[in-house]
Amino acid sequence: MMTSTAQPLRSAEAQNASRSKALQLLGILSGFTAGAWLGAAEAPTKLVSVGISPIAISLIMVIGVFLARWSLPALILGTSSVRADVRRTPHLIIWAVLAGCLWAVANTLTIFAIRDIGLSIAFPLWNSNSLLGIFWGFLFFNELRQAGWRRWTGVLGGALVLCAGATLLAIASSTQGPAGHSLRGVWAALGAGVLWGTMYIPYRKAYLTGMNPLSFVTFFTFGEVGMMSALAVGYTGLAPLWQELLSARGVIFWLMLGGFIWVIGDLFQQYAAKYVGISRGIPLSNSNQLWGLLWGIFVFGELHGRSSSTYLQVVGGSLLMMLGVAAVAFSSASGEEQTRWKEAARREARRYGVARDYVEARMDGRRAADESAHARSIWDWLLVAAVSAIFVVFAGVARVPQMSLHAGPAALLIAALLLLLFICTLALWRTTRFN
Amino acid sequence: METTDNPKANWSWLINVLTDVQFWVPVVVLLVGVLLLRSMH
Repeated sequence: MMTSTAQPLRSAEAQNASRSKALQLLGILSGFTAGAWLGAAEAPTKLVSVGISPIAISLIMVIGVFLARWSLPALILGTSSVRADVRRTPHLIIWAVLAGCLWAVANTLTIFAIRDIGLSIAFPLWNSNSLLGIFWGFLFFNELRQAGWRRWTGVLGGALVLCAGATLLAIASSTQGPAGHSLRGVWAALGAGVLWGTMYIPYRKAYLTGMNPLSFVTFFTFGEVGMMSALAVGYTGLAPLWQELLSARGVIFWLMLGGFIWVIGDLFQQYAAKYVGISRGIPLSNSNQLWGLLWGIFVFGELHGRSSSTYLQVVGGSLLMMLGVAAVAFSSASGEEQTRWKEAARREARRYGVARDYVEARMDGRRAADESAHARSIWDWLLVAAVSAIFVVFAGVARVPQMSLHAGPAALLIAALLLLLFICTLALWRTTRFN
Repeated sequence: METTDNPKANWSWLINVLTDVQFWVPVVVLLVGVLLLRSMH
């Protein structure tokens, strides 16, 4: 009799362990895919060299982001799933809008950073946000609690190596800044890192409370557009801003496309934050630094003509940072640590009065038992069609920027992006149905 | 029909947000970020 009850229990435990492992692997894959797409999205900001103000560039990118953040969820799950999520967790609207505001300010800072110290150097500096993400994850969400010495060593050792790499790059930038404002560029990049690192508090808050990443981003984007519009009007003035947008109409498509690509990367980043936590998810998605470096060096020829010592500093610093990222990534959460995550989730559920079975099901990548399946409506298809039409219109008036680009490496990088997109999308669908 | 068993389905969730210490961390960082951006401009 004891054997007959113990066997189903063991079977359920094995199923839970297997499910947990599958979700961890999914999170890691999502993190790497996010890195590739986020890295590619920064390439269009190189257009800053054609004489458009950083504020206007950021605003145009955010408009592209806004369009993507509504059309992609509508296409993948339908907006009815967004409405259902909001009914259960209305408090997350405020958190999402706040996160969007943080993103908008950080993104604007990165454009100053790119202008002052260049993409390949600024990238690793603002990617120091992973250190802050680890700290917030530990402090607020029980991440790395009861993780054991091996995982602590992996995460802390990785963080230290990340710092060493960032320092090497900062030294390189202090003497080799392209525009004579290297210190300002370093501050801008580090400031963006702090803002983005803190932005992951709302991310984790949302996923511990059960919200679908596709729902979270639709409200996140109101913070982005609202804050970015306020910054643009406040710093530039309405009439000058309008004139600048009119004069920039030839490159609006490219910048909006950059925003759209960024959203694809960010969606995968959201799934990484959900399934492996922010202490691991952020370093993983920060592999965008390597992708940014590949785009900067091979497609835009960024380090062409620089001294070999600068080249070595940038490459060496970036490799050190990647080593740190790898150490953090391979310190995945143990069963005990995941139990502590669930404690944090129960705390959030109690605080905000969210049903426990809903929270547990969503953390497990499933729909709750009382949730109905959501389907796309005609409005969702109209939304997707309208966004597509907007992109087509701007593509019609777009001109190819007069920049030196290397087509071969660009084609290879694009092929790698599409392959990762296909593999990760398929894995997300098969494992969680995008929950 | 989809229902929610959320006992705090009214506006009390807003109070819960505003009294959550974790909420004020990103708010302060955002303000500092805006000031930094202002100094850049």
